[in-house]
Amino acid sequence: MHMTQTCILNKNHLSFWLRRLKTSHELIAPTRDVSGDIVLTELRQMHETALDGPALMPSPKEFLLPQMEQLFSYSGEGIEETFNKRPRVLFGIRSCDLSAIRILDTFYLGKQKDLYYEARRSRTVVIAIACNQPDPTCFCLGLGTGPFLKNGFDLQLTDLGDRFLVEAGSETGASLLKDSPHIFTEPMPADNDDLYEARLASQSRFEKRVNLEQVRKRIQAGVVQDSFWESVAARCFECGGCVYNCPVCTCFNVIDRASSSDTGNRYRLWDTCLFKGFTRMAGGVVPAEAKINRTKRWFHHKLLHWPAQFGTFGCVGCGRCAVSCPGKIDMATVAMRIKGEDQTEDK
Amino acid sequence: MEKISTTCPWCGCGCGLFLHVENNLITGVSPSRRHPVNHGTLCVKGWNCHEFVHHPDRLTTPLIKEGAAFRRATWEEALGKTAVRLSEIKQQYGPDAIGILGSAKCTNEDNFVLMKFARAVIGTNNIDHCARLCHSSTVGGLAAAFGSGAMTNSIDEIRDARVIFVIGSNTTEQHPMIGMHMLEAKDRGALLIVADPRRTQIARFSHLHMRHKSGTDVALLNAMMNVIITEGLVDVSFIRQRTENFDDFEKRVLTYTPEVAERITSVPADDIRKAARIYASEKRAMLFYSMGITQHVTGVDNVRSCANLVMLTAHIGQPMTGLNPLRGQNNVQGACDVGVLPDVFSGYQKVADPAARNKFELAWSRPLSGMPGLTLTEMIDAIHAGKIRALYVMGENPAISDPDSTHVKAALAKLEFLAVQDIFPTDTAEYAHVILPAATFAEKDGTYTNTERRVQKIRRAVPPEGESKPDYEIICSLSRLMGYDMDYRAAHEIMEEIAILTPSYGGILHHRLDTGFGLQWPCGGYDHPGTPYLHRKKFTRGLGAFIPVEFMPPSEPTDSEYPFILTTGRSYFHYHTGTMCRRTITLEREEPECTIEISPADAERLEIRHNDPVRVKTRRGQIEVKARVTGTVPEGIVFIPFHFREAAANLLTINAVDPNAKIPEFKVCAASLEAVRKKPGTRPAPRLSYHEGMKIGLDLYLPPEEGEE
Repeated sequence: MHMTQTCILNKNHLSFWLRRLKTSHELIAPTRDVSGDIVLTELRQMHETALDGPALMPSPKEFLLPQMEQLFSYSGEGIEETFNKRPRVLFGIRSCDLSAIRILDTFYLGKQKDLYYEARRSRTVVIAIACNQPDPTCFCLGLGTGPFLKNGFDLQLTDLGDRFLVEAGSETGASLLKDSPHIFTEPMPADNDDLYEARLASQSRFEKRVNLEQVRKRIQAGVVQDSFWESVAARCFECGGCVYNCPVCTCFNVIDRASSSDTGNRYRLWDTCLFKGFTRMAGGVVPAEAKINRTKRWFHHKLLHWPAQFGTFGCVGCGRCAVSCPGKIDMATVAMRIKGEDQTEDK
Repeated sequence: MEKISTTCPWCGCGCGLFLHVENNLITGVSPSRRHPVNHGTLCVKGWNCHEFVHHPDRLTTPLIKEGAAFRRATWEEALGKTAVRLSEIKQQYGPDAIGILGSAKCTNEDNFVLMKFARAVIGTNNIDHCARLCHSSTVGGLAAAFGSGAMTNSIDEIRDARVIFVIGSNTTEQHPMIGMHMLEAKDRGALLIVADPRRTQIARFSHLHMRHKSGTDVALLNAMMNVIITEGLVDVSFIRQRTENFDDFEKRVLTYTPEVAERITSVPADDIRKAARIYASEKRAMLFYSMGITQHVTGVDNVRSCANLVMLTAHIGQPMTGLNPLRGQNNVQGACDVGVLPDVFSGYQKVADPAARNKFELAWSRPLSGMPGLTLTEMIDAIHAGKIRALYVMGENPAISDPDSTHVKAALAKLEFLAVQDIFPTDTAEYAHVILPAATFAEKDGTYTNTERRVQKIRRAVPPEGESKPDYEIICSLSRLMGYDMDYRAAHEIMEEIAILTPSYGGILHHRLDTGFGLQWPCGGYDHPGTPYLHRKKFTRGLGAFIPVEFMPPSEPTDSEYPFILTTGRSYFHYHTGTMCRRTITLEREEPECTIEISPADAERLEIRHNDPVRVKTRRGQIEVKARVTGTVPEGIVFIPFHFREAAANLLTINAVDPNAKIPEFKVCAASLEAVRKKPGTRPAPRLSYHEGMKIGLDLYLPPEEGEE
């Protein structure tokens, strides 16, 4: 049977396919928890996957760069590295998260390869779900990071009501389709019509229209005063939530934990540039002691430095920072204030 | 990868979060999106609550002291020794020679079992916990005014309030997620009034900040009530129908004009008037308070004044109103609720009440003492007086958290027997004869009750580290060895007993807590949905009681020798005595050493620059800390957080207590400051950081000849 790049999967057959995937991979999918929240975790019961929920927290980044990860253990004999080599399927993640993974790839798999990240990434299959229903906090539209992608995925599923349209974007994706040829059928013309309608409908549902390019230009033009950033920093609770939750933030700290005088483990943990201690130097000098410097830097890094260094914004419009920020100074909110900024600031 | 839904172990917000587990190790944390308190957010401590669980310092085996060091022992040996020693001391000196300290960090189940152990097995009411140090003023003050002392309303009402009055609470730093709700209310147009000598973050968000002198809360509140009465802003029908003793109270308050208060508090009279008018004129006005008013020798008076204010304006018994003490620890509300207090059983049923005592005697098949026991602060004095000979400490660190550490440590050293049950070695544990390793919040099932009376589950995510056990299991084993059969096979069985014996928890069972986000007590029946706000139709005691309060100054005034007011408290990144948070790298890195907040004017006068070492002295002791010159503190006041064992603020604090609640005056004592000048060419001695200090402690716990774990 000749390999198709696009096909249809009846929703009744989803559980069957997931169970097939689970035999050879750790299957990570959105699952409804007993408390009612939907979390990305190992799917135990196939029917429990919940694809209709909002953006999940934290982002799927935790499967490629865990919040706390052992790098190696050391002893008198030497070092034993810990690589996570379990084949994994990330199922049901959104287009923004997929775009974020592609950005993380440029960061961690560039000239300087991060071997721990690579061990996980090379064994991770990404099956994304295009977004029919963006959250009120989403703003990927306009950033090219969603709600539908043209490439970058192993497989992209679009919900067409009683069935999914499945697009393969890589060899791995195509081979997954080949593995279960009896459940993936040829698309009909009606499917393409429905796809077009779903895309249009999704785009119309965005509550926020955020143009980061305009914001970048305004900052570069020097229009945004420090007094504005002061008003933003005053509302910062220094919780780190924006960074911990962000699918693109990459910073980590490295610590050793000794279990005795000559054995122990080395770990890396998520870190954030928002904290004072991040830039503290020997002697106790903290260059970014005033909160405004750190708050401003987070935005500048994503809006100015990332494009300059990597050609893309350090933001995919997933809107998680809006959910996690106690002070409501997330990217979209601040970007929209900058867009509407003259020389005056409010609050 | 597993994600276990549980509740945060740090503060009284009780945020919902998930622990991420891979290969029986916790690898991360994420917030619960739908939780009514935090809805998708967490503070920095919440985001990092996984790290201390697998820390190598964890106590993993029982330890018995031999000579100056500890050696590993089996559970049999350690529990056996504990049982024998406690029995001996009980035999020789009587049951009241033994004191028991419960834990505001342990679950309701752990605490209830400990309370039962103290009363049914040991036979004493000498049981208390750290609520004594924080909200005993609340429990005492509101018991007389309303009949019950808990946060009257709920956190999710905050965003719809029109006025928020915060007195003595640094909300955005100590209850960050509640601070978030307050900020949201302000964004929606609510007016925010803050009364605090320090210019905290919440004060900077406020519309009106009254910086009253430390310890003058009664004068300030009485003056506000004076304005409300004289300007006719009282709710007359509420006072007539639902309260008593208004006339005596009114007479007293009328003597506190704003001008009188201005002289005492140094807050401008017009500001007092403004605050009073704003608070009284809006229907939906909520009052919040915390340690700033409870930790004084007049703590109970301060709380009573708040109760008076709330009744005067009828801001109680309705949503978006209320008197809202912000409980500190994750389960201090629960520990109080299940009776870890010397004068009450669970549900605040008095031990001196024969009917209550009879109920518990029937349930436990043991005669029970009707004499209220000693409080935590009294126990320390009683040890010095030779009245208490043994102490059993569960999840508490009085050597660092109690006032006047020198006095406390001397007491601990005097004990004939001290058993400490904890997750990490602590300064208190250094004096122990037996140390028992306990399981953390991630390693056991149980429930916590947050500050809005919400009882929520914690769920076991990983097996207990080493040989550690859940606290209730340890106590049950000990109890059996001492001849009283206590055998609960799971935490939910304990909850069943709590529900039977505690009317307000009557309908709270684990299976009801499985879905949704817990239940707020009172929850009397099996299908009762819980109670978002209290005192709707009547107060717990029937009518609310106005209690006239007179201003009294703090116990230790400043003088020429000790000219500064020293106030102690918490910082955002750390938590209390630091056993958990200082073993979390992100938190420890943010604040690795003790600092003292000094106003710019004082710093200039004493020639102290930012980051200079400073020696702080009081009549109790002295410590050396780093100066932080900031406008947060007003002139004449300095602030030190109490998290740092190597520069322990409680070496300086005074042991003076409120006569009713026995809560120490942590917020005010007299201190002197001087810059530490180095001789040219010398370096200051390197300060022992927590980890350095603990490493020394850790070696003590490893037997000299043995290799590693």
